[in-house]
Amino acid sequence: MSQSSLAVELNGIWKRFPGVIANSDINLKVASGTVHAIVGENGAGKSTLMKILYGMQKADEGTISINGTDLVFNSPSDAIDAGIGMVHQHFMLADNFTVLENIVLGSEPKNGMRLDFTKARKQISDIAAENGLAIDPDILVSELGVGDRQRIEILKVLYRGAKILILDEPTAVLVPHEVDELFNTLRDLKKEGLTVIFISHKLDEVLSIADEITVIRQGTTVGSVNPHTQTVSARDLAEMMVGNELPTPEAVGDTIQDEVVLKVENLSVFAKGGKAIVDDISFQIRAGEIVGIAGVEGNGQAEILDALMGIESATGRVQFKDEDITNKSTRHRRELGIGFIPEDRHRQALMLDAPLWENRMLGHQTRTPNANGIWLTPRSAKADTKRIVAEYDVRTPSIDVLASALSGGNQQKLIVGREMSGEPKLLIAAHPTRGVDVGAQAAIWDHIRNARQAGLAVLLVSADLDELIGLSDNIKVLLRGKFVADADPATVTPQELGTAMTGAGEAA
Amino acid sequence: MTYLKSRRFIGAAFTAITMLSITRTITGNGDLTSTVTIAQALVFASPIALAGLAGIWAERAGVINIGLEGMMILGTFGAGWAGWQWGVWAGVLAGVIFGAIGGLLLAVAAVTFGVDQIIAGTAINLLALGLTKFLAILLFTNAPGGGQAQSPPIKGEIPTFTFNSLVEPLSSLHEKGIFFVSDFAGILAGLFYNMSLLTIITFLLFAITSYLLWKTAFGLRLRSAGENPWAADSLGVKVVQFKYAAVVFSGMLAGLGGAYLSIASTIYRNGNTAGRGYIGLATMIFGDWRPGGTAAGAMMFGYIDTLRLIDTGNQNVKGLILLGAVILFAIGALMLRRARRNSAIGFLLLGSVMIGAYFSATSFPPEVAQVAPYITTLLVLATASQNLRPPAADGIPYRKGDHH
Repeated sequence: MSQSSLAVELNGIWKRFPGVIANSDINLKVASGTVHAIVGENGAGKSTLMKILYGMQKADEGTISINGTDLVFNSPSDAIDAGIGMVHQHFMLADNFTVLENIVLGSEPKNGMRLDFTKARKQISDIAAENGLAIDPDILVSELGVGDRQRIEILKVLYRGAKILILDEPTAVLVPHEVDELFNTLRDLKKEGLTVIFISHKLDEVLSIADEITVIRQGTTVGSVNPHTQTVSARDLAEMMVGNELPTPEAVGDTIQDEVVLKVENLSVFAKGGKAIVDDISFQIRAGEIVGIAGVEGNGQAEILDALMGIESATGRVQFKDEDITNKSTRHRRELGIGFIPEDRHRQALMLDAPLWENRMLGHQTRTPNANGIWLTPRSAKADTKRIVAEYDVRTPSIDVLASALSGGNQQKLIVGREMSGEPKLLIAAHPTRGVDVGAQAAIWDHIRNARQAGLAVLLVSADLDELIGLSDNIKVLLRGKFVADADPATVTPQELGTAMTGAGEAA
Repeated sequence: MTYLKSRRFIGAAFTAITMLSITRTITGNGDLTSTVTIAQALVFASPIALAGLAGIWAERAGVINIGLEGMMILGTFGAGWAGWQWGVWAGVLAGVIFGAIGGLLLAVAAVTFGVDQIIAGTAINLLALGLTKFLAILLFTNAPGGGQAQSPPIKGEIPTFTFNSLVEPLSSLHEKGIFFVSDFAGILAGLFYNMSLLTIITFLLFAITSYLLWKTAFGLRLRSAGENPWAADSLGVKVVQFKYAAVVFSGMLAGLGGAYLSIASTIYRNGNTAGRGYIGLATMIFGDWRPGGTAAGAMMFGYIDTLRLIDTGNQNVKGLILLGAVILFAIGALMLRRARRNSAIGFLLLGSVMIGAYFSATSFPPEVAQVAPYITTLLVLATASQNLRPPAADGIPYRKGDHH
């Protein structure tokens, strides 16, 4: 294949779902041996498009051509046969399987009837060595972190001999140094002649890795740019995505008041077996203050938040304003005016099989507008859901659709809207804009900033270090359940923060 | 890996025999480890083991099979109905086929239509119970030797094997009452005494399952349907087909277990399964969804059942109580070593209570023994549940293309 030939060409792709047109007249040309980025808002139709290209869904209209041949994909196996591999946004791994089992599943080397583990092990180490993706094939996936899991996903597609790799928002779950490692891997793969299709919200990253960028807006391709030959900034791309100008995500002014809203003393959470996951931490948040917690996922963030909400049992003391809430129920805490945006929205924040307006009531089921005494008030709850949908730009055909029908970003907007309702005094937020596109992200930031102006205290956990630095008044670095450093958001850089998070050095 | 596993197996067997031996020595009750007891325990254990194995197949593919009981009932009926007319092997075949039909029904409901698996399984249990009662009245009432609730006797017998050259010296060694050695001899002899061909088939099915599910590509794909069917689908594994195959085979195994029951009692009788399908599920959980542990769990149930039924001097149940105490003390000691003080105290306390009961009462009602396996299973679940690794997507309806 010469450099200029096309690895993938999509022509006039249409895909309709009941009530939504996911893709309308998509045209895409990906040159072989390049990294081609696809950017677009949530619900713009990127994921649908990639599912079509990977054979998981069928396009209603349009043609797919791979290396110059028109093909029809009825299932992922067809796409795999055509040399396409997909690294999913939500990892597609079986936790109770070993790395090896996950990689070979579906195309196992055999010795008679037996699965040839020896051969599989050798093949995997060979591919891993060629591409610098070191990993122990016999370890259980449940013991691995996100960076390793992503490496397994890439190994999975390489093992199948894929020449075209689709990566669906691969950096969303990674910390900065892991992103660098991933990009090095991608550059290596490109050198080997592979084609990479890279989907992302993070425009800076896209600009640093992509050879060509295609922008999708409202289900259709609106243009392509080549960052090597054209000067294009992240802002330009964002405006192409959204179709208009953007507000700037910068922290503004000092709104911190004297009143201490949350005071945490010697909080510890223990794992079964007695190991401290959260290890004797103390801090306080005043009204109008945003305290950010930086840390690699799994260092105790989730446990701190759950402990503060009364979901996880903990030792120590938690005081909300003048009240000791250490032993109070989650409901009591919520009724005091504590809003909660949990880390895993499917597990903790939503009933996926319930309509949006019922989800609006969740966690607020004892208060107006959802309840009056012991009676629920669906009518006013529905009206308020409509308000949230409008104010937070939740893209949905109606408030009666099931939460599972919304894209991840729109689910997140609904949750943020719900938790910001009823004038909370304290917001405990994990990744408030995770999976949300740039336009909506800015809107959520504005909502949080405005509430802060009015005296809202916020505890913010985020893997997006720019968000953390941009919003927080103070940042604490969490490592293995302890605060190991404080950082001043006015001076610290994401790189410094990333280093501190891994325990490699001291933050500013 | 294999070395470690065989070491663990030998270790477990050694511990079990030691505890039995301690109990036998204290009680002086030779029945506890006699050849006949073990041989009979195998007969009682086999149908339960088959049900447990059936559970492994379905649940490893991600389908909870509460319907095991119903599929077993269908198996008992099939064996009675065909065995009475065309002989015992036809009975086995019919039991397997009837069980497979039950499995197919569950597969259609749970896999194709995504019905809640607990409800679908329960429906199959109720359906099997009612259907077989009705058919028994219809087919057996006027048959010679049959009745409204039971079939005429099954024709023919399954061949059994006894290796006298092994059994006789081992049994006489057992009579000598030497600590550990005699007990080991008695138990070993039990494996070669009156061994039914169906029991041997059961052993083989366990071995085949271990191999197929954990050593072959087929097994990896089948298990992937129970661990993460979405991932499996994205790699081109035909998840639905594997689920169907697994659930239907699960039905066949449960049916075979039912056939075993009918053949062992020479007739089909209403209610002959007596909840063994559920006990099979319990042994599967006890065994961490793996064949080895499941077989051990089934053997535990079979052993206790045997002691209860051959109890002549009303001493076996008493022996069991002591055995329970010994086991509890052993677990308590293990917990102490692992620095889990609270659990340890719990086990030691419970063990002391049982010791007290052992010494203060002269005999126990046999019902005490009946509940023992359930209590054991509960204890296992309570203490080991954190270490159990059920298939991650067990019981979750899977629809192709759905996101998870």
